[in-house]
Amino acid sequence: MKYLLLLNNDAREVAEWQQLTPAKAQERRAKQIPRWNELFAWLAERGIDVDGLELDDPANARVVRVRDGETLVSDGPFAETKEIVGGYFLADCEDLDQAIELAQRVPVAERGSVEIRPLARH
Amino acid sequence: MKVLALIYADQGRWESLSEDERNEVYERYRAFGDNVGDKIVDGAELAPTRAATTVRIREGQTAVTDGPFAETKEQLGGFYLLECASLDEAVELAAQIPGASRGAVELRAASEEAAA
Repeated sequence: MKYLLLLNNDAREVAEWQQLTPAKAQERRAKQIPRWNELFAWLAERGIDVDGLELDDPANARVVRVRDGETLVSDGPFAETKEIVGGYFLADCEDLDQAIELAQRVPVAERGSVEIRPLARH
Repeated sequence: MKVLALIYADQGRWESLSEDERNEVYERYRAFGDNVGDKIVDGAELAPTRAATTVRIREGQTAVTDGPFAETKEQLGGFYLLECASLDEAVELAAQIPGASRGAVELRAASEEAAA
């Protein structure tokens, strides 16, 4: 069963990151790498097939709408919310319980949230 | 560059459509897929938001709640991962996604650190 896991960062944390110099951001990122590596090791151990991506600064987001044949493009993420998606995993889990177990191991869950969305089945 | 296209739509409206009407929408998505070809790296339709589960950890305690983290007028219903030359190209492709003509498509480029 495939699940999309949306890794939602706390908006205040995103704002903090945006204030950092590239060197400081790099330093903070490096500190977090062991936690993420632990997660990847756990995924490999369980044989969970997973794809994922870390997303760029939400300030660079674009929202596209087409109305009456005209393309309207606006800046910024789609919704102003307390949490902002910063990455995702697409994971093939045994069931929802395993997806929850995975979500719990994602460092983002500690300040933001991990939203689990099963894929539609036809 | 890889760009994630998040497709937001009115879920209530979608669920009120007849099977024929839905098949028509799927047909338009298939046409989009044929047209764009291998610029689509991945993509999927999501089950309705009532099947969503949100996980948070606060002070070492796990809280699991039903439903999406945010209540919005339009809901995330699916996504594509696109391979584009630029964000401008992603905008062009996004405008062809059927969901853009009623809902909205949010484009989020992959982090450069992730690509490195």
